[in-house]
Amino acid sequence: MPCDLESLRRRLESLVGEAHVQAGEAATVPYCVDGLRPGLRVLPGTQDEVAAVVAACAQAEAALVPWGGGTAMAMGNPPRRLDVVISLARLDRVVEFDADNLCITVEAGMPLARLQALVAERGEQLPLDPPDADRVTLGGLVAANQSGPSRLLHGTARDWVLGLRAVLPDGTRIHCGGRVIKNVTGYDMNKLFIRSCGTLGVITEVTVKLLPLPTARASVLGAFVGLAEATAVLAEVQASFLLPEALELLDPAAADLLLPALGAEPRGAFALVAGCSGSQATVDRQVRDLERMVAARGGRVLALREADSVRAWAAITNVLGSATPDARQVVCQIAVPIARTAGMLASARARAGEHGLAAAVTAHAASGVVRTVLQARSGQAEPVAALAAATEALREEATAAGGSLVVLQAPLAFKGLVDAWGKPGSSFTLMRRIKAEFDPQDLCCPGRFLGGI
Amino acid sequence: MADKVLVQELRRVVGEANVIDSDVHLQLYQYDAYLEERRPDAVVFVHSTEEVSRVLKLCHAHGVPSVPRGGGTNLSGGTIPFKGGVVLEMIRMNRLLEVDQGSLRARVQPGMFNLELGNALAPLGYQYLPDPASQKAATLGGNVAENSGGPHCFKYGVTTNHVEGLTVVLSDGEVVELGGQAPDTPGYDLTGVFVGSEGTFGVCTEVVVRIVRQAEGVKTLLAIYDSIEKGSETVSAIVAAGMVPATLEMMDQLVIHAVEKSLACGLPLDCATVLIIEVDGLRDDLEEQTGAIVRLCQEHGAREVRVAKDDAERALLWAGRRGAFGAVARITPSYLVCDGTVPRTALPLVLKKVAEVGEKYDLKIPNVFHAGDGNLHPLILFDWRNPEQKERVMKAGMEILELCVQLGGTISGEHGVGLEKMDAMRLVLTEDDMRSQLKLKRAFDPADLANPGKIFPAFREVSCAL
Repeated sequence: MPCDLESLRRRLESLVGEAHVQAGEAATVPYCVDGLRPGLRVLPGTQDEVAAVVAACAQAEAALVPWGGGTAMAMGNPPRRLDVVISLARLDRVVEFDADNLCITVEAGMPLARLQALVAERGEQLPLDPPDADRVTLGGLVAANQSGPSRLLHGTARDWVLGLRAVLPDGTRIHCGGRVIKNVTGYDMNKLFIRSCGTLGVITEVTVKLLPLPTARASVLGAFVGLAEATAVLAEVQASFLLPEALELLDPAAADLLLPALGAEPRGAFALVAGCSGSQATVDRQVRDLERMVAARGGRVLALREADSVRAWAAITNVLGSATPDARQVVCQIAVPIARTAGMLASARARAGEHGLAAAVTAHAASGVVRTVLQARSGQAEPVAALAAATEALREEATAAGGSLVVLQAPLAFKGLVDAWGKPGSSFTLMRRIKAEFDPQDLCCPGRFLGGI
Repeated sequence: MADKVLVQELRRVVGEANVIDSDVHLQLYQYDAYLEERRPDAVVFVHSTEEVSRVLKLCHAHGVPSVPRGGGTNLSGGTIPFKGGVVLEMIRMNRLLEVDQGSLRARVQPGMFNLELGNALAPLGYQYLPDPASQKAATLGGNVAENSGGPHCFKYGVTTNHVEGLTVVLSDGEVVELGGQAPDTPGYDLTGVFVGSEGTFGVCTEVVVRIVRQAEGVKTLLAIYDSIEKGSETVSAIVAAGMVPATLEMMDQLVIHAVEKSLACGLPLDCATVLIIEVDGLRDDLEEQTGAIVRLCQEHGAREVRVAKDDAERALLWAGRRGAFGAVARITPSYLVCDGTVPRTALPLVLKKVAEVGEKYDLKIPNVFHAGDGNLHPLILFDWRNPEQKERVMKAGMEILELCVQLGGTISGEHGVGLEKMDAMRLVLTEDDMRSQLKLKRAFDPADLANPGKIFPAFREVSCAL
């Protein structure tokens, strides 16, 4: 049902001020979701204003999408409707930083990089490292469950979020969790909002646990001619006592994108990069052992210390992002049981080849997560069909292994052929009931989530 | 309630011998480690997911509530069949179904004891990290239901951080798979939502847990103090120094006395408190870390710091800590365990205030707690035969929870709300917060048959107001 945007606009202006409600093509085009342009973009300045805005949308039956840094807006299926984009850009303040208790509360629009800089002043960090750290906001990170290579040692948002505040689709403000590290007071509502992708309301505030910064950091990169040698080292590391923070496996296409940034020459090799952090003694020991393991399998060793290591990981985290998004390209995240990770990386390359596509593939190699960029070659006939066929083949393999494939970014034509999430499982009835309880009017990001939620 | 017809139908599903409905037997299922009691109408021994599903379908058809029961170690009344009905005895579903070292996962049945899983993994060189003190008698299903903690939470997190997938039977008998072996299952994180739902969302019949390699090295220290403030200040100092020990546990004098009386672990009887600190990880810096911690303890007034020389000494220290609740049970007819949590730096203050509460109500309150987590367990001692005293105990318990909340904490760190802390929920949550949680309850259990009458204060009143 189309809503009366003009009267909603006046209502929103009265709530947040004229300057913070934008309409018209020029202002709203940058906030299209899968080609669907919102009628209004509103920028509330406080959490109470978010609640008032959401309530007004509910009353006007306007479909809304919360917008943080916009880094995950390409994820999911095209929305069924979109009337209002709620920008969290003005909610970027620190609510409370309790450095002594390793805990910080910020508004949802705070960019991750700014939070990291702030807590680093007190020798602390939030050990989550999704791509685009300078753009991704805390609210967005939580809603889209963004993660990076260091999930190997540190896990994901669900392991670091202590509390949230959110506005439900009817405008009710609630809080979940708190700021203590153990909390079983009622249900764990934090988990409900993490990776809910905006379908249950708008996250307005996030409290996270922090970790002391390590005294030392280093990385060891091994370059291998064949995947078998790289995976042999991987298996050896996994069976050892070593505790690397991250283990990233890159296929030659991805490695070639990365290596120039590390001052090394691209040579068409597979790369296995291990990141280590901790005390000097444990980092030295891990570097020593890793260098030995890489050399024993005939790999070329590149050791990176301190700032070089930190820079390397920024490059690794963003290596697939550096390919410009275009209409001939699809980015996917595949999740499989850990032991299947390297095999899935190989499959992604093989399926791409079979369908005449170019591919760059990376993997959080000991975490079960593979990221692929599949790209149609210039002049390739029916590029979208080829991309779809390769993606479906990969999805089938991932699903058969008990995992999943999620489309992170794709042209609209592709999304018409391939569902972004795949087929829901036996728990989908529960998910639909949850959505109906929280958003009976179906106004929060309708259609973007699993199974049409 | 469970009528004769239902009992007969249940017997047809699980066999004659697996349904109990005689008074004498039912009495064994009317209590857990909390202070209230309520007798179920029948107890059903279940052996498979399919059986649980058939039993719950029957209960659903008869409108009869049910409660799954593991080891019965629950401290908040979570296992008590408050509205009667059927207790599902899960203890025979106790098999380790699969260990996948390559994928770092184990698949277990919920009736397996936490310690049994640890014992099965140890020879392979692996471990499951959550280790509630009751691990000898607490089942993994119970750990999932309560989101159990344990001494190693400070570094490694609680149960929810280590559960990757669940098979759940809903109260209408439907079987659903949540999460699984692979990470990041698309859709809502229902595994995360289910863990800690205290049996009110359904019955879990299989659990996929994350396992990890055993640490290369472990060092365990015992720091002895003449003042409890000094001990708790040390905890903050260690954390402020950027260290992340695996455990930071504390016991006060009354607990130490109780432990020594029953377990004789060699703890000094004349000190105010002891800290048990453990560091683990790669061997290379353990000596250095241990040295730094010893210095910090001494700087903050420890009169003595002992480092366990070998596994036997380490085991003895842990036997004392793990046996603390049991040891206290031997010196008092009853006790109420509080489970409040505060930001770590508020520990010295909250401990002082807890002592004041003890004086005010003329009650003995020994203390044993997870200092690193800011999670305290004051044990309020009393005699259940004295109703007047019990009333004072309940008031004192509530006052301690209020204190925790005032200091920025919460009412339960790991024991759950159950029946015990329903009235304290309003200290932390607004009516809107609770209504939003009840939406989840309705989605999982619309008929309100899964462990009903728990967690939410005046449950009916809140849900009817929707």
